[in-house]
Amino acid sequence: MTNATALHISNLVCRFGSTPVVDDVSLAIAPGEHVAIVGSNGSGKTTLLRAILGLHPIYAGQIVVDHVHAQSAADWRQRQQRIAWMPQRQASGQFPLLVHELLASSRNPTVAHDIASQLEVGMLADRPLHALSGGQLQRVFLARALGSIAGGAGLLLADEPTAALDFGGQAAVATVIAAQQVTVLVVTHDRTMASHCGRVIEMANGRAREVTP
Amino acid sequence: MNLDTLVGLLQLIPVQRAIIALAIAGGAFPIVGVWIIGLNIVPVRFAMMHVALLGIALGMLIQLEPTLVGLLLCGVTGVLLAPLAKRPAGLSGPMGLVMTMAIAAALLVLSLSGVNANGAFELLWGSILATRTIDVVILGIVATIIIVVYVVKKRDLALLLYDREVALCSGIAVEQLTMLLMFVIAVAIGAAVHLTGALLVDSVTILPAIAARNLGRSLQHMVWWAVGIGIVGNLLGFGLTLVLNQPPGPLLVITVGLITLATFLRKRA
Repeated sequence: MTNATALHISNLVCRFGSTPVVDDVSLAIAPGEHVAIVGSNGSGKTTLLRAILGLHPIYAGQIVVDHVHAQSAADWRQRQQRIAWMPQRQASGQFPLLVHELLASSRNPTVAHDIASQLEVGMLADRPLHALSGGQLQRVFLARALGSIAGGAGLLLADEPTAALDFGGQAAVATVIAAQQVTVLVVTHDRTMASHCGRVIEMANGRAREVTP
Repeated sequence: MNLDTLVGLLQLIPVQRAIIALAIAGGAFPIVGVWIIGLNIVPVRFAMMHVALLGIALGMLIQLEPTLVGLLLCGVTGVLLAPLAKRPAGLSGPMGLVMTMAIAAALLVLSLSGVNANGAFELLWGSILATRTIDVVILGIVATIIIVVYVVKKRDLALLLYDREVALCSGIAVEQLTMLLMFVIAVAIGAAVHLTGALLVDSVTILPAIAARNLGRSLQHMVWWAVGIGIVGNLLGFGLTLVLNQPPGPLLVITVGLITLATFLRKRA
């Protein structure tokens, strides 16, 4: 578990305009912990993950990853290199990108391609992403994220990684994510996925509270 | 027109220079068109035409080479616009603002400098048959920059044009790359307007890229299609210009436009 990353969030506030969508959230996650974030739509789960990645501006509070509070553009780039990300919104992607081009952007493309084959999307390497089904796309993004973990990323942020999958696929992906020896923060509505995590945080109206798994 | 007349026309130096200029522009500028489509900033060409006019007016006012001031101002404007690309609304709104402000400022500067506006417009609206050797050299330099940026940054560009956030989270310096692209796009359009004429900007940039968008399965495929259509379409259009003895601008745009239309029909089929 040498790569696993510590994550400390203190009094985080993120807003859309003047509306707080993450409201005074504090959270400490130890290296190697697997944490599920649950809650209804619009409760602030995705915004929390995006703030950790630097994709949503922080209004107040701070997020420290591996003892580093990112401030400069270089800090953020370094942080983004330490994080493997599975987005919920599967990329605006109307511009064509091939599956193998996306996998090549992983920190370890060889592992990403191997995992894509294990997840039964390896044969789609020459297809454009916009030609994939939602489930295939999620598996490709998972393979890319796991390739990044193999390349040194210590924190997996997964935003509804099983949302577009059938029941068999949901269980398989949940098992794969649970097997990762890194810190995992997963936003999910899927009980199977949440049951693989040691901690469950529930978000409502931008606030977070710990619940019993 | 008989063959002897056509051969005679092809031996004229302005015609030869025009063919070389079109081959260079058609071979590189469609790559800029692909970036413009990918960044969803099609209005950029109108904005930069007006910024180039403002630069020419400023050059006349301060008595510096108007073309160079125009290109410089295009490049600076492109760089200044780049940070706005991260806004969810994108760059279309700011482009409209730049276009309107630039033409207003250009007319004001022309009035202040006492220069007839037609003089500035003549400098701006070039013609492919009036291309000078120095224009071909400038086109070659801009084309080389475009190709080098594409070849060196191909992988990063593919991710950025697909999705800005995916690119960011892959460790790509997205803001710097966007700034570089905006600079090259702005300078390329400024150069193309002056050197080939306003009407031809679309036939060497946007139209081949739109056609390539219908045919390409990846950035690389799109670039190959765009460059192929850019070269073939523009040279074919210029050939028709000579054969039919008509002005080059409209025939070039119509030729490349028809090729683009055919790609839409093929896509539907």
